[in-house]
Amino acid sequence: MAKLWVVMKREYVERVRSKWFIFMTIFGPVFFLVITILPGYMTMRGMKDARVQSIHILDATSAGLGQRVADRLSSQQQTGPLASVPGSALPASAPSTVEMVSAGGVAAAESVATRRVMRKETQGYLVLDSLTLAKQTARYAGRNASSIGQMQMIEAAVRQSLMASRMQDAGIAPARIDSLTRVRVELATERIDERGRGGSGLVSAIFGFVIAFLLYMMIMLYGQNVLRGVLEEKMTRVAEVVMASVKPDILLAGKILGVGAVGLTQQLIWFASAAAIFSYGAAMGKAMGMPEMQNVTFPTVSLPLFAALVFFFLFGYVLYSAMFAAIGAMVGSQEEAQQAAQPVVMLLVASIIFIQPILLNPSGKLAVTLSLIPFTAPVIMPLRMSAVQVPTLEILGSLAGVGLACWAAIWASARIYRVGLLMTGKRPSLKELARWIKYS
Amino acid sequence: MTALALEIASITKRYANHTAVRTLSLAVPKGAVYGLLGPNGAGKTTTIRMILNIIVPDEGTIMVLGRPSTASSAMDRVGYLPEERGLYKKMQVRRVLRFLAALKGVGAREADRRIGEWMERFSLSSPEKDWGLSKIDELSRGMQQKVQFIATLLHDPDLVILDEPFSGLDPINAQALKDTVVDLRRRGKTVIFSTHLMDNAERLCDSVCIIARGEKVLDGSVSDVKQEHGGNNVALSLAEGDAQLVARVLSDQKLVERVDDSNRFFEISLQKEADPQALLRRLVEAGARVQRFELVQPSLHQIFLEKVGATGVEAGMTGHG
Repeated sequence: MAKLWVVMKREYVERVRSKWFIFMTIFGPVFFLVITILPGYMTMRGMKDARVQSIHILDATSAGLGQRVADRLSSQQQTGPLASVPGSALPASAPSTVEMVSAGGVAAAESVATRRVMRKETQGYLVLDSLTLAKQTARYAGRNASSIGQMQMIEAAVRQSLMASRMQDAGIAPARIDSLTRVRVELATERIDERGRGGSGLVSAIFGFVIAFLLYMMIMLYGQNVLRGVLEEKMTRVAEVVMASVKPDILLAGKILGVGAVGLTQQLIWFASAAAIFSYGAAMGKAMGMPEMQNVTFPTVSLPLFAALVFFFLFGYVLYSAMFAAIGAMVGSQEEAQQAAQPVVMLLVASIIFIQPILLNPSGKLAVTLSLIPFTAPVIMPLRMSAVQVPTLEILGSLAGVGLACWAAIWASARIYRVGLLMTGKRPSLKELARWIKYS
Repeated sequence: MTALALEIASITKRYANHTAVRTLSLAVPKGAVYGLLGPNGAGKTTTIRMILNIIVPDEGTIMVLGRPSTASSAMDRVGYLPEERGLYKKMQVRRVLRFLAALKGVGAREADRRIGEWMERFSLSSPEKDWGLSKIDELSRGMQQKVQFIATLLHDPDLVILDEPFSGLDPINAQALKDTVVDLRRRGKTVIFSTHLMDNAERLCDSVCIIARGEKVLDGSVSDVKQEHGGNNVALSLAEGDAQLVARVLSDQKLVERVDDSNRFFEISLQKEADPQALLRRLVEAGARVQRFELVQPSLHQIFLEKVGATGVEAGMTGHG
């Protein structure tokens, strides 16, 4: 045991002393924010920018619908869906142009309009015809056709225009129509579970996402760190000197525990600073142009959830780092290591790929299955737990599965490690690997 | 109380396609310098790794300093210098040494004291420059070898095992190593080293064991081994340019059994019944100017060649020095 401590201490101290650790501890959260929050932030900025530039409207309805749409579109720029967001009032662009065409001339007008779009004279064109009036369909073609925000705005403009036109037909005064159709609804969401109201639904989803992503990142980073450590010992041959003093199992355990302790230290620093930052969260949110942040309170983490998080991190980390360690002992160079580590990395990446579908339906079949498979459970189960109330039995089952997988991974990798560390030359085939596990 | 530092009882280690070591038995007395000799691939490193409990023999037992080699208390008294050397590249020299000492159960304060002594002794630290604060990969190869050697001896082991210690050493470090081995022996420590360089073994070892293809060929004290194989051996030196004059004499199978021709120096094994005086007479008659003609015991090199034979030796594996 004294030797385990010596090995652990070396792994821990050498890493915490390194520039890499200091750099990651300081810039890790920045990087983390950039890759988690920034996409969302950019989407919101993108929506604010989603003003429809002047488009060309081909109106074959002979009911003046085209002009209504054009008016709506230009007024949306000042009072669009995000007009309440400060700083989103944008300078008005040129108004959309309306061209009246006969029902028979639509095809010809469309081909002219297409060429104009190709010459970048206009963004796109909208076709309104008798079908628009009868069946509420319209067509749009343009450069920005894949912009969801802009298409939503065009759709809203057409819908409101149609509604207005019908109201006018029903004899309502045009002045009133405008105030009647301009309706906005804001849906405030709140989660309710067995313990009662549980704060904003959006916030707990974001929290779940952040937790899952953090777990994924830590397991990936520190698992690969273990791989590099093992490979270094093998390639520099220091392994043989060390193995003359300690049993390989202890060396492996010390390495995994030491590196894991580094990961925990880092997370502790991050959580402490996150707690501090959250007290100023409102001000920060405002500065970033996200007034929603003002109402965000740090989701209360219950003790069982916290304990589960710690366990899933530890188990997940041990499971993956044991596999990474075995790979480090198997290969003879960095390049080989990268190649051989790919299957393990893929297992881990699988969990991150499914984060979004699972957040959409945290109690669905996919979510339940993935939270029970040991390789994805360490990331997916905490994600589900922060989003919905997961049955205790499922949590225990998942933990038991991961625990068992951990044990198997350690058992097999200790054997591979013992043999592989002294081997040089060719990477072992699967058959040889099986023999290492069997006979060592 | 046992007088043996190491006792190996018929160990065997098999791998998938070959047997690396076959029923090998050894006994190394305490306080001896013991040479494990053999060509590359003979099983020396496998044997050493089994002694150190790095790999486990399929059969047989190993007692180290009177305890089974699986006991970590035994391993703490052993110092090991592997053939393939290496240390943590990015670690400070003193930290590496402190770590390796701690693995052998030496406390930090005691380790620091010893590290200071050794660093000075191997001129790795002086008032001007302390290499102990540098990282390993900032050191020259020669200096890294010294650090590795310090690591082997830092915990003051009773048994020191050196695997091919002379390979890759510059002459200065090789001399330092020899001096240290002699010093260890003087202090009553046991030293086992493997080598394929017979000259080193002959000069340093009290006892030797020659192994080839995983099996013991012979063992015993160097003097016993020589006595046993001491036949009619002659060391001969000639003046420059006279070598071709004696070629015919030396190839006479009735007189000479084997010649190790090193151009100006010959080590000659005579046939059992042959008379050395007859050889000398014929050499002089052939017109050669003899500078040295001495009846000698065979060198380990000779014995090695005779016992292991050319088949057990790959080219260049048994060269002098």
